[in-house]
Amino acid sequence: MDERKLQILQDSLPPLLEAGLRYTLPLALLSFALGLLLAVATALIRISSWTVPRQIARFYVWVIRGTPLLVQLFIIFYGLPAAGVVLDPFIAALIGFTLSVGAYSSEIVRAAILSIHKGQWEAGYSIGMNRSQVLRRIVLPQAVRVSVPPLSNSFISLIKDTSLAAGITYVEMFRTAQQITAVTYEPLLLYSEAAAVYLLFCSVLSVLQHVLERRFERYSAI
Amino acid sequence: MIEVRDLHKAFGPLEVLKGISLSLAQGKVLVIIGPSGSGKTTLLRCLNLLETPDRGSLEIAGQRLEFKEGSGLAPKAVRALRLKTGMVFQSFNLFPHMTVLQNIMEGPVTVQRRSRAEAASQARELLGKVGLADKADAYPHQLSGGQQQRVAIARAMATAPEVLLFDEPTSALDPELVGDVLKVIRQLAFEGMTMVVVTHEMAFAADVADHLVLMDGGIILEQGPPDRVLGHAAHPRAVQFLSRLRGEEHQ
Repeated sequence: MDERKLQILQDSLPPLLEAGLRYTLPLALLSFALGLLLAVATALIRISSWTVPRQIARFYVWVIRGTPLLVQLFIIFYGLPAAGVVLDPFIAALIGFTLSVGAYSSEIVRAAILSIHKGQWEAGYSIGMNRSQVLRRIVLPQAVRVSVPPLSNSFISLIKDTSLAAGITYVEMFRTAQQITAVTYEPLLLYSEAAAVYLLFCSVLSVLQHVLERRFERYSAI
Repeated sequence: MIEVRDLHKAFGPLEVLKGISLSLAQGKVLVIIGPSGSGKTTLLRCLNLLETPDRGSLEIAGQRLEFKEGSGLAPKAVRALRLKTGMVFQSFNLFPHMTVLQNIMEGPVTVQRRSRAEAASQARELLGKVGLADKADAYPHQLSGGQQQRVAIARAMATAPEVLLFDEPTSALDPELVGDVLKVIRQLAFEGMTMVVVTHEMAFAADVADHLVLMDGGIILEQGPPDRVLGHAAHPRAVQFLSRLRGEEHQ
């Protein structure tokens, strides 16, 4: 590799890392946190006996899962202004990713709740608990453990999906790489470098997932 | 203490309980035996409303409930009745994410709103009673089946119920662990705890029961003092069931 390329590689690392840490990660973290709340709420509604809210939750999951994320982002950012709703790129991205995480993860949470043995509910009821006490004290803590691996998966996916926000003018890591490419004419170099930073972020997360799983192991025989 | 009148329960087209009536005085032990599918576990589960009966009435320690088809029960009444009873399950159903002590404290703290300190000291006392004082900080998976079941007994007693219900408490245990659990139940009987036990352990049933009920096909075939039910059963199906059991025991 010639010296010019090495120099470009070196010079572009700080702005890429900065964009990753200041824009990509906060967007991913915030939309994941909000998305998880939405996911738990959606999952609880879907296992409840309220017919109408259940139908609404099903409809929500159906629409979000059945349409491309990039198209959803375009509707929110480029489409909504036509209806009088103009959103900042960050807010538009946040809404889009939150809705997406909420829909996909609600299925993970729902499956995790349903995987807890019926005997756990009955044991809770038998000591006088009501449904919400059983959920809060007995079922959800166990469901969390079951859902750590699939939810980590979702989070890692989300980190990478935030690159879609480049399409709605949110200057995160990928868009930063595009901007540097526009001046240096080194797409192979810059996009590979951006890919390497994504890989680094996701590797750190995999380690965190492992730590989290270890913490739960103390009460599991398996 | 317990008064069951004409209890009916069906799962879809399958009638599991076809009019069960029985009563039990305070401090007595009722043992229910019968072939599998006879409805004995369903009857037990109706006593703390894990199953809701379709018709009939139920009274436990002054809490009276009437059941009519199609009408629900007030959640308050259901919980009041459940606090009068404690249940021990065939598969233990301990909470795996809590230590032994936390399992026992859960009812008193979360449901009865008692202080943690008070609940903890009571839990330790109960653990001593079932012979597991040294296991307070263990997780359920670190215990043998027999130990888990004894913790489950302590948990069922922690909310100070008037009646303890046992659903085949030794069926999931290795034979060598059955004795420890039966010993605890015997001790409770000796101390005057009112209990209803569904079991296959005939020798234990004969020994610990004040009142023995033999069920089959959703009805009570025979009931009375154990020596009378076991020795002088009149109903042909009861005689058949008992002789088959004896045959198995002699093998």
